[in-house]
Amino acid sequence: MATDLAPPPAQAAPKPGRGPARVPVRAALLRYRWLYLMLLPGLVYFAVFKYLPMYGLTIAFQDFVPFLGYSGSEWVGFKHFEDLFTGPDFGRLLSNTLILALLTIVFVFPAPIIVALLLNELRINVLKRSIQSLIYIPHFLSWTIVASLTYLLFAVDFGVVANFIQGVLGGPPTDYVAQAEWFRPIIVMQTLWKATGWGTIIYLAALAGVDPNLYEAARMDGAGRARQFWHITLPAIRPTIVVMAILTSGNLLDASFEQIWLMTNSLNRSVADVFDTYVYYVGITQGAFSYSTAVGLFKGLAGVVLIFGSNWLAKRLGQRGLF
Amino acid sequence: MRTTPRRLLAGTIALTTALVAAACGGDDSGQKAASNELTMMVPLFGTAPDPEGEVQRAVEKVVGKKLKITWVPNAEYQDKTNVTLASDTIPQVMVVQGKIPAFVQAAQAGAFWELTDKLDKYPNLKAKSEQAERNASINGKVYGIYRVRPLLRSAVLYRKDWLDKLDLKVPETVDELYEVAKAFTEKDPDGNGKKDTYGLILPKWPTPVFCSASPYNAIETWFGAPNCYGDRGGKLVPAFDTEEFYTANRWLKKMVDEGLVNPDFATLDSGKWNDPFYQGKGGIIIDVNVRATQMYGLLKEQDPENYGDKLAMGGNLKRPDGQKFSYPFDGYNGFLAISKQSVRTEAELDEVLKALDRLATKEGQTLLANGIEGRNFTLENGFDVPVGDDDPAVKTINNDVDFAFIQLGTWATIGMGVYEAMPASEAERENLRLRKELVELDLQTAVHNPTLPIVSPTYVSKGATLDPIVSDARVKYLAGEITEEQLRAEVRRWHESGGDQVIAEINDLHAKLGGS
Repeated sequence: MATDLAPPPAQAAPKPGRGPARVPVRAALLRYRWLYLMLLPGLVYFAVFKYLPMYGLTIAFQDFVPFLGYSGSEWVGFKHFEDLFTGPDFGRLLSNTLILALLTIVFVFPAPIIVALLLNELRINVLKRSIQSLIYIPHFLSWTIVASLTYLLFAVDFGVVANFIQGVLGGPPTDYVAQAEWFRPIIVMQTLWKATGWGTIIYLAALAGVDPNLYEAARMDGAGRARQFWHITLPAIRPTIVVMAILTSGNLLDASFEQIWLMTNSLNRSVADVFDTYVYYVGITQGAFSYSTAVGLFKGLAGVVLIFGSNWLAKRLGQRGLF
Repeated sequence: MRTTPRRLLAGTIALTTALVAAACGGDDSGQKAASNELTMMVPLFGTAPDPEGEVQRAVEKVVGKKLKITWVPNAEYQDKTNVTLASDTIPQVMVVQGKIPAFVQAAQAGAFWELTDKLDKYPNLKAKSEQAERNASINGKVYGIYRVRPLLRSAVLYRKDWLDKLDLKVPETVDELYEVAKAFTEKDPDGNGKKDTYGLILPKWPTPVFCSASPYNAIETWFGAPNCYGDRGGKLVPAFDTEEFYTANRWLKKMVDEGLVNPDFATLDSGKWNDPFYQGKGGIIIDVNVRATQMYGLLKEQDPENYGDKLAMGGNLKRPDGQKFSYPFDGYNGFLAISKQSVRTEAELDEVLKALDRLATKEGQTLLANGIEGRNFTLENGFDVPVGDDDPAVKTINNDVDFAFIQLGTWATIGMGVYEAMPASEAERENLRLRKELVELDLQTAVHNPTLPIVSPTYVSKGATLDPIVSDARVKYLAGEITEEQLRAEVRRWHESGGDQVIAEINDLHAKLGGS
C-alpha cells in the first residue's frame, strides 16, 4: 500500500504522558485528508442505506396508505404505539421474545465458548481441525432446510428423535413439533446445532493468541491443567467474551425470524409469536404498514437500551466496554 | 502495488457514485408503459414464460398490444402484492388474489379504478354471474374483473380400494363418514396385518384465518353452522356464535380422540396433503373436487394398471337428522384490477379495458386456458385432446398455459377451460361426470355466505390479531389442549378484542347493501 498515506510519524507520535496530541479539526482534516477520503464511501453507505431509510419510520406515526404517500397520509401521533401497548398481543409478544432471549443467553451463548475450550485442549491437530470443520457445516444450511430436517426427525411414526424421546418419556406417539411446551426446547436445539460450530471460530482465534510462554511459566510454578485453564486461558479470552456478550445483547430481541416462522402452528402460536414474526404477519401479509412499523420501532429502541445497558454493566464489572 | 492519491480519489468517487446511484435507482419495470404496451403482474405456478415464446406472441396478437408481464411465484404473491402496492411502480393491470387488507385500503384511497358501471359497455367483460361479481366487490363497488371459479367445489375423496375391501359405501351422512373413518383405522384396509392406517387426513391450514375454505369450514357448514356469517334472529352472526359450530367440532374431536385423524393434523404441510392418501396411510380427504384430477395423476404414477380403482368421490354430507347443508365457494378467485397510478385518464382506461375485452373473447380465453389449437391440443367432440406431448416446443406451450397464462383467464380457468380436457381413462371420465352431478345436487342445499361483498373497516385494521384467536383455539380444542369451556372463552375474547365491532359494521353494511 501507499506509504505516503500515513502521516509523518514524528508529528503523529503522542507527546509523552499526555495522551494523543490535540490537533485543530481543520488541520487534522487537511493532514489526514487521504484517510478521510477513504472513509467517505463508508459514510455515504451508512447515510444512504442506513440513515436515509429511517425517514420511513415516520409512517409509524401516520395512518399510512401507500397511494397517498408520506405527505398525504393522516398523521395520528402515538396511536399505533397505544394500540400496541394496550392491545391483547403485547404481553404475549414481549414475554415470548424475552424468554427466547433468556434461553439464548443461558444455552446458546456459552455453547461456542465451551466447545472452543474443549477443542483447545485437544492434542491431535488433525482431529481438532476436522471436528472444527464438521461443526461449521450446519451454519451454511438455510433455516428452511433445518426446519424440514426437524419435521422429519420429529415425524410421528418414523421420526428418529420423536421415537427416541417417546422411548425415554413413555406415553403414546406424540407430534412433538405441535406441542407448545416443546417449541422452545426445539428452537434452542436447532440454534445450538446450527450456530455453535460457527461461533467457536472467534474464540478459537482468541485462544490461539494466548502467549505459550504463560503456560510454560505456570507449569514451572507447578500449575496443573485446571489451574492453567482458570488463571491463563479464561482471563485471556475474557475480553472477547465480554465484547461478544455486548454484541449479542443488541440482537437478543431479533429472535430468528425464519426459524420461528417455519416452526409455528396453531398449537404453539401462543409461545411462538415474537415481535419479528408479528411484524411480518401484521405488516406484510395483512398490509398494516404503520402499525407494524411502530412495533418494529419499539423493538429497535429496546435493542438500543439493551446494548447500552450491557455495556454499562460490563464497565461496572471492571471490564472494558465497547464504547 | 503503489496507489497514487489521484487513483485513490478516482476509486473513491466511483464507489460513492455507485452507492448513491444504487440507492436512488430502483427498478423501473412498472414505469409508465408506452401506448402500445400493457404492463401486468400475474401469479406464476411454474417457470416464467419466454416473452418471445409462442403463447405470449399469440396472446399479444389477440390483445393488440405488447405485454410486459411481471411473473411472481404464487407462494410469495401476496407479499409481493403488498410490497408493490406500497411502491410507486404499480403495473397497469394487476391480478389481485382477493380482498386482502392492503388492496382494500389502496382501492378505497383511490389507487385503483372503480369499474362498477363501466364493464357493461364491454361485451366480454360484462359479468357472466351477477352473484360472483357482487361477491368480488368491496361493499358493492367493483374494483376489478373477477376471475371465475366454480360456485361449488367442495367434495370428499375416499380410497375406493379400501371401501371395496371393507365392503363399505361412499358415505352420505356424517355418521357414515365416522364409520368409514373408524373402519379405515381399525380394520386394516390395506391388508398388511398392521394397524398403521387412519381415516381422515387434515393438514395445517396455511393461514390462521377463520373463514378460509378449510375442511373445518366445510364440516361446520354440514352440521348447520353458517358459512362464515349467517342470519340468526334477524342479525348476522359469525359461525362460532352458533351451537352447530360446537356440535360439529365435538364430532370432529371424537374422531381425533379415537385416532381416526392423522396425528400430525396441526403440522402436516398442506402441500403434502395428498401424500398420506396415495401412499396408503390415510383414506379420506375433505377438500375440492378438482383434487381428484391431481390424485389420479399421483395414483397413476404408483400403479399405472389399477389406479382407476383407488379413488372414489362423494359430495357434501347430511348431518345426523338427515338435513343437508352444502359448503359453496365464492364463485371467484381474485380479480384483474387497473391502477390509477399508471392508467391516468378515462381515455387510457378505455384503451386498457378494450384490450382486456379482446383478451376475454372466446379466442383469447381459449389461448389462456387451453393453448394454441393444432399445436398443443386438437378438438374431438368438443373436448380438448392434448397432442405432441413429446415435442419440447409443445411442452413449453403447455407449461406457459397451465402454469402461467391461465392465471389471466377471467371466464375460463383451471378445470373450466373453454374446452374441457378429454379424460384419460374410463374412471376419470366417470369422475368428471360425477363431479358435475354432485355440483348440481349440492348447489340446491348450498349455504351461501352473505358477507362476501362486505368489507368491515375494523376487520381490515384488526383482522390480523382477531383472526388467529378462534382458528387457533379450534385446533387446540381438537388436539385436546383446551376444553370446550375454554374454546367458548376464546370466542368471547374474539368478541371483546374487536369482534363485536366487526359484527356491528357487517350488519350495518349488509343493511346498506339492501340485505340478502
